[in-house]
Amino acid sequence: MSLTLSLTRVIKFTFQNIFRNFWLSFITLTIFVLTLITVNAVLFMNVVADSVLEAVEQKVEVTFYFNTETSEDIVTSAQGYLRGFAQVRDVEYVSADEALDLFRTRHVDDEVILSSLDEIGENPFGHSLVVTTQSTDDFAFIAEAMETPEFSSYIKEQDFTDYEAVISKIEALNTRIGYAGFALAGLFVLIAIMIIFNTIRVAIYVHRDEIGIMKLVGANNWFVRGPFILEALLYSFCATILMVAITFGILGASRGQITDYFGDASASIFNYFQENALFIFGWQFLALAALSLLTTAFAMRKYLKT
Amino acid sequence: MIRFSNVSKHYPPTTHALQHVSLHIKPGEFVSVVGQSGSGKTTLAKLLFAEEQATKGKIVIGDWDISGIKQSEVPELRRQIGIVFQDFKLLPRKTVLENVKFALEVAGESRVRIRKIVPQVLKIVGLSDKHARYPRQLSGGEQQRVSIARALVHRPKILVADEPTGNLDTIHAHEIIQLLKKINEYGTTVVLVTHDRDIVNALKKRVVTIADGKIVSDIQRGKYILS
Repeated sequence: MSLTLSLTRVIKFTFQNIFRNFWLSFITLTIFVLTLITVNAVLFMNVVADSVLEAVEQKVEVTFYFNTETSEDIVTSAQGYLRGFAQVRDVEYVSADEALDLFRTRHVDDEVILSSLDEIGENPFGHSLVVTTQSTDDFAFIAEAMETPEFSSYIKEQDFTDYEAVISKIEALNTRIGYAGFALAGLFVLIAIMIIFNTIRVAIYVHRDEIGIMKLVGANNWFVRGPFILEALLYSFCATILMVAITFGILGASRGQITDYFGDASASIFNYFQENALFIFGWQFLALAALSLLTTAFAMRKYLKT
Repeated sequence: MIRFSNVSKHYPPTTHALQHVSLHIKPGEFVSVVGQSGSGKTTLAKLLFAEEQATKGKIVIGDWDISGIKQSEVPELRRQIGIVFQDFKLLPRKTVLENVKFALEVAGESRVRIRKIVPQVLKIVGLSDKHARYPRQLSGGEQQRVSIARALVHRPKILVADEPTGNLDTIHAHEIIQLLKKINEYGTTVVLVTHDRDIVNALKKRVVTIADGKIVSDIQRGKYILS
């Protein structure tokens, strides 16, 4: 038999099977989609957790306050020195005047503070540098770098120590969420595997007599197995496409709420799914297809023996 | 055409379904294989289409020694033998036409030939007007005729019918036997496995009687001799 003819017939029988067993096909596809929803929900939670923590980490910064008598040249020199490190994302220079303005703005409703400031008569603030790093792990390095004799005598204060506790808490939380997410994802993947495995086994069990009859009228194993394999692949493909539609449908419909709720972190949630769509759903399709094919082959084995 | 030489079939631990069976069926013969339940007649039929393999002995169909047939060769054998079962074994989600077509499709027949042969065979079994129905929409007799049409569609030289009237009333059973006789008249060798006394006696063809896995009689124009 020519391969084209054989393939055409296998495809025809596949679609006949799907449409003439509509409810079984519908339930199988629904279970595939529900399984993917479960896996993607876990993935979404992990992405949200990562994005939120990343956003929080990005907001954490170290500020070096210089003595009031420190000249602007020294401070800009320190700014250049810090920018030379790969660990540093940005260094913002806040002049003494800007610091004073900022302070006044912050306490515009507090007459006592403003009048106290007026009584001092001069600007009590010095220049400062606000440093953001690539990672919170880099704060210690930056603090150490600023202990160089060239600048250390000019630094009045650094607020790094205030952040240390927050940073270590964030890191601990991040690690715990990472472990919990990993365990949860593993559990759901295991459940998904069991569900898919049993769904396909039931679908093939329903067809066991037909498989026997096909063999009795002279169908070879490939001809009997072909439609079931193709059916499994089609379910995997359709479930993945539906999952893509559901994911982007939900993300699109709830864009406003996600932005309100997660603030800056929402952008990285959207970006993650948009930029990695092919990777995420490609792998999900491949995993689903591989699992379905293996189960199909395994479940059919005993019915193909006669 | 079909030759069994000293064939035995044992099922562990102690069942001897067939013992030292030797039998020769010539081309174009109509042979009834009779025996009571558990006598081994169905095992003999199953050996013919390789659903079972002989424990000992040699089975030759035409020039093909199928005693040690490989699993990969079984589909080819089954495309050369028509098989009819008591429970029809039709594909429930395929129409009459599709059930008959299926046997040709798996054998790789071209669409043109399928379109030509299938209506002819459905006409022979008298089901041309019911080609679009599903098996559940047919009577038992009609379902058996579909099964025969499917078995015939390859134009096999041998037709094995295992209790084809077992699920049918007398009228439908008679129709099926007439159909088998007609097929035999066209030159197909028919092996009819049955325990229906009336059918065997009415046929007046060769009768091979099996009891306890052994051939106890083999008579041309025989009768049902078991009590």
